[in-house]
Parts: sequence; structure tokens; C-alpha cells
Amino acid sequence: MSWTSKHFLGLSPLILPYLVLFCGGVFLTFCQSFGVLTPLPYGGGALDAYVKLMGDPSFFASFFFSLGVAAVSALFSVLAGTFLAYRVWQLPRQLATAALVYKIPLILPHISVAFVILVFWSPSGILASMAHSLGFIQTLQQFPNVLYSGWGIGMILAYTLKGIPFAMLLVMALLVRFDIRQVQTAAMLGASGLRIFFTIVLPRLAPAMHTGFIILFLYSFGAFDIPYILSESRPGMLSIHVYNLYFKHDLARRPEAMAILVIMFCFALVFIIAYSKIVNHLDNGVRKL
Amino acid sequence: MTKKCIFLIALWAILVLPGPALAKDSDDLLLDTPFRQIQEQAHDTQVRWYMFGGWAHVNDWVDTYVAGEMKKQYNIDLIRVPMDAGVFINKLLNEKAAGKKIGNIDLLWINGENFKNAKEAGLLFGPFAQKLFNVKKYVDPKSMAHDFGYPVEGYEVPYGRAQFVFEYDKASVSTPPKNMDGLKEWIHSNPGLFTYPQPPDFTGSAFIRQVFYAVTGGHEQYLSGWDPDLFAQKAPLLWDWLNKIEPFLWQKGQTYPKDSAVLDTLFSRGEVAMGMSYHPSHAQNKIIEGSYPKSARTFVLADGSIYNTHFTAIPFNAPNKTGAMVLADFLISVEAQLSKYNPDKWGDFPALDLARLNSEESKKFQAVDLGPATLGSDILTPVAVPEIPSEYLEALEQGWKENVLDK
Repeated sequence: MSWTSKHFLGLSPLILPYLVLFCGGVFLTFCQSFGVLTPLPYGGGALDAYVKLMGDPSFFASFFFSLGVAAVSALFSVLAGTFLAYRVWQLPRQLATAALVYKIPLILPHISVAFVILVFWSPSGILASMAHSLGFIQTLQQFPNVLYSGWGIGMILAYTLKGIPFAMLLVMALLVRFDIRQVQTAAMLGASGLRIFFTIVLPRLAPAMHTGFIILFLYSFGAFDIPYILSESRPGMLSIHVYNLYFKHDLARRPEAMAILVIMFCFALVFIIAYSKIVNHLDNGVRKL
Repeated sequence: MTKKCIFLIALWAILVLPGPALAKDSDDLLLDTPFRQIQEQAHDTQVRWYMFGGWAHVNDWVDTYVAGEMKKQYNIDLIRVPMDAGVFINKLLNEKAAGKKIGNIDLLWINGENFKNAKEAGLLFGPFAQKLFNVKKYVDPKSMAHDFGYPVEGYEVPYGRAQFVFEYDKASVSTPPKNMDGLKEWIHSNPGLFTYPQPPDFTGSAFIRQVFYAVTGGHEQYLSGWDPDLFAQKAPLLWDWLNKIEPFLWQKGQTYPKDSAVLDTLFSRGEVAMGMSYHPSHAQNKIIEGSYPKSARTFVLADGSIYNTHFTAIPFNAPNKTGAMVLADFLISVEAQLSKYNPDKWGDFPALDLARLNSEESKKFQAVDLGPATLGSDILTPVAVPEIPSEYLEALEQGWKENVLDK
């Protein structure tokens, strides 16, 4: 048996599902976006779906809105997660065990977190009712319109709630291996807490923060469950638009749904490549500790 | 190298080989089998019914009454699988593309554009409707000739009838609007208290069709089939009407409820003063369930109220087609339709031709107490208007997005 086929067989539990399911799915998505292999015979030109999308301002509105929601929630999750992880790491040993509660939102499915946000923040929800009965507001209408502000605040809240513990988990994994003597030495030499954090700790945590940001950003960009519960009608999230096209419209519009998925997939690829390039570039300019 | 070849051949065999010819022949054979014999063959089998699962009371009715009767009469195990129609259509499309000859769905609850999609893509078994005893005996052939203007041709069996109604709470709205103009005035004088689910939601889409009929001069003109010029000429009236009410809707029309379940919640919490449903007994069910106030009522507008029929159909690769036919036949039987009509069970309107019942049977239907929130057929029937052909439906949903949502 040759070297390659031996390795192929050894890796087959990993490669086969990847080839069949993932690559197969991506391949089919590309094909259908060009009107090939669609459920109904497709009469139009290969690029019709893309031309239609490029001429549709609402597609771009949805695209950039999804990007905005994803970027804000991922950025905030990573920053808050890193800060909290650092604080938890500094806690006395007895408290550190108690601090494990931070992992609870990790276990909750995204959809439950979306419902938690909905139940708490909707105009007739728990917070509005509490504010009303405590006398902070006179009518329920006075409660700030968090879920329907047009800014996707509800979704950002939900993603952040899920994202912070995830970022904490990644950062914690680096922190536990971090040599505390570096911090102690710096402190003995008179560095302030802020300075220690920014010049000693943060550069060490940067890889986890970058990974966390990429994962959270791309996930929130394309995910469906939280927008399904919390998305507003305009501008709608892209994933909801795809869902409607795929499940609720005429089968003849399948290429459009698939074209959006292809664009999202290509965007994710380009984003990852560009992001890693930029990070590498920045790292080369920074003095290594 | 040889091993790799054998492996690839095996893979190809698994994916492709099970021949297409076999299934086709057995289908033809089954369609020629007398229904009496089919009923016998169906004994002691299992039927998996894929249906919309969003209504607890409907699920209960299927799990208790229907499953119980199927067990008693045929020793059939009925398994209800909750799934939206759009989702199981895609499941079947994938199975067809993958050449899967034996699927796991026996019966579908389906209608409208989903039926059109399924039939056009060759996902359905049939024509089988005219084989069923209860269809031949009780169903008016005209009532099952078209589904949203698309010819049924015996590929699905009716099992219920729905009609569009608005819902309100008589404790907060003393006199509901009488017609579409009245509704518009009401919305203007009660800002923030009305909204409709975002099309392509089923109910929201029905609402805009309802307005479409009302503001463009009635339904008759659309029933002869898809006419792009007529649509281009009439649709702007609808967009104009909807855009005019938008600033007065819930959340100033900035956002719409995602589906009818969200609208129900808004209505039950009092965030809006009116709800709507494609099921006349929906409000009564919600009162019984305890989520709507006891003072909830329904109304229809004089301009017309759309009705449709819902159906059951059998997928091309159903593992138990005989059992599925027996279940479809049972669902349209007098006993099942009567049980379903009862608002404690479901309150779904019968799809039978009531004129074909004997006097004892029709007395039983008349004796059903629909409850205070459900309108009687004396009010519903005079305003009933048929559904629009599905090409219009798609054009209206897309047009709504372009001209109302993204305007």
C-alpha cells in the first residue's frame, strides 16, 4: 500500500464526511446558484441570480446590516470577554471556582438566549413590567424600544451574551499557562496595573482574541437562530432573507437563495485571509516579548 | 489502487443503483388495486404523517382521536411528525435528487404553493383521490378541482376548510370595522394597535391578498389565470393602500411580526388590538387554551373573506402508500370531520359537501356548538371568496417586499 492511500484510509473518518458533506454541499450550492442542478429546470442565464442581487439595494442593506451586527457583537464580546477573563484569573483561588458560573451561557443554545432577550426586553416583557410596577415609567409604551429600534440591538445583546463566555473560555486557556512571575516582576519594577495589562498580558492573549473574533464574527454574520427570533423586518438579516427564499418562495427562485449563500461563503473566505494577513503584518511590527 | 477502485465502485453502487423502474411499476399496480383490498393490506402497518406542528390542540386531536381510531379500525400505528411544509418539500427534493426510492414520509398536510412546488417537481404519488370511498361519496368534485388555482388532478385529498377572519377583543374595541375602508379608518384613528405578519408568512400573505381583492375591484378578474399586465396595472393600488397605513401600524410600521404566532402573542398581551387568522375557530381555540381573553371575538369584512381547502398528499417515495391512503380516507370521513369540527378538538370546518349527508349526519354537524368567538356559516359563507392563482401569490409576496418593505 502506497504512502498516500494509507494516509487517506487513516484519515478517512475525517476526510470522508468533509468531502461528501461539506464539499458536496458547497459544490451543490455553487451549482444551484448558477441555475444548474436546481429542483425545477431553470430557464434563465447562469449569472441571472447574481445580476438580480447586485441590482437590489435591499440586498446590500441586509448585507451591511448583518456585517454591522456581527462586527459590533463580536468586538464587544471579545473585549468584554478578555477583560473579564483577566479579572477572573486574578481572583483568589476560593472565588475562582465560583467564577465558573460564567460558563452557563455557553451551555444554553443560541435559540434559548434569543428567547431570554425577547422575554426580558420586549415592550411588554419582564423589564418593562418591572419598571412599570416600580413606577419608573407610567405606561408600558415609555419603556425604551430595545428590540425594534432598527439597530439590531436585541440581536447584539443576544450574541454578546453568548459570545462573552466563549471569548473568556479561549482567553482563559492561555491565561492558565501564563507565568504570573512576569506580572509580579513588572509590578516590582513599578509598572502600573494598566501598563502590565496592556504591555505584558494583552500581547500574550492576542492570538486567542483574534481567533475568538473571527469565529464569533463569522458565526453571527451567517447564523439563523437568533435573527429568527429577534430580527426586525427592515433591514432584515441576510440569513432570514435566505431562509425565506429557500423555504417560503417559489422553487424557481432557488438560484437567488443559493447565490446569497455563495456570496456569504466567499466573503467569509476573503475575510479570514485578509484578517490573518493584517494580523501577521501587525505582529511583525511588534517587538516580541 | 485496486482497493481504491473497489471502494469507489461500491460507493457508486450504493448511491445510484437501486433501479428507478421498479418503484414506478408498483405505483401503477397500487393505483389499479381496489380500495377495499388496499384497506386490508394497510392493516397492522405504521403511517408517518408529516404536518404543521404549531398548534397544540391540533396535535392533541391527531395524537388522541385520529391515532386512536386508526389503531382501533385498522391496527395502524399513526406517528405524527411536526414539520413545516416548506421544510418537508425540501427534504423530498433532496431525497429525489439523491435517488432515494424509499423515504420515511407517508402522508403530508399540504396546500397552495407547496402543493404546486411538489407536484411540479414530481414529488407526489397519484392520482389516488378518486379511489377513496369517502371522497367519492362525500366530496364535491368541484371543491377539489383546484388548489390556489392550480389543478389538483387527484394528487391530494381535501380534509378541511379554512376562511380568513380578523380577531378583536370586544372589551377594548366596541364596534369592529365593517369593510376595508372602515378598517383603514380604524387603523388611522388607533395608531400602533394594528399590524399584520410579514409576508411570505402564510397569514400575512393572505391578509395582503384580501386587501388586494378589496382595493382593486374584486376577485373575479384574477381567477382566469396569471395575467402580468393586469397585475402590473392593479398592484400599485395595493402598495399604495399598505404604505398609507404603515406609519399607523404597530412600531410605526418599522418592523412587522415575523409570523402569525408572533401576532397572536402581541394580541394576547394587548400590544395590538386586532389579530387575524386563516382559521375561523382560531380565536375560540385560543380562548379555550387560556391565552386569549374570554371577550375575544372574530369578524369579517363585507368586501370578502378568502377561503381555502387544506389537503393531504402522498410523497412519491412513501414507504407505506396503502396506509397513507387509508388515513387520508379516514380524515375525510363523516366521523373524523365531525370530531374535527368540534371547537374543543380543533374547530376546523368540514371539507365535505354537507348536501351529500343524510339527515341524521347533517343534524350532527348543525348541533356542534362553535363557541361565541367563531362566526357561523351564515356569516362566513356569504362573504367567502376563492383563493388567487399561486402565480399572483408569489408576485404579491415579492412585490410586497419591493414596494412596501424596501420602499
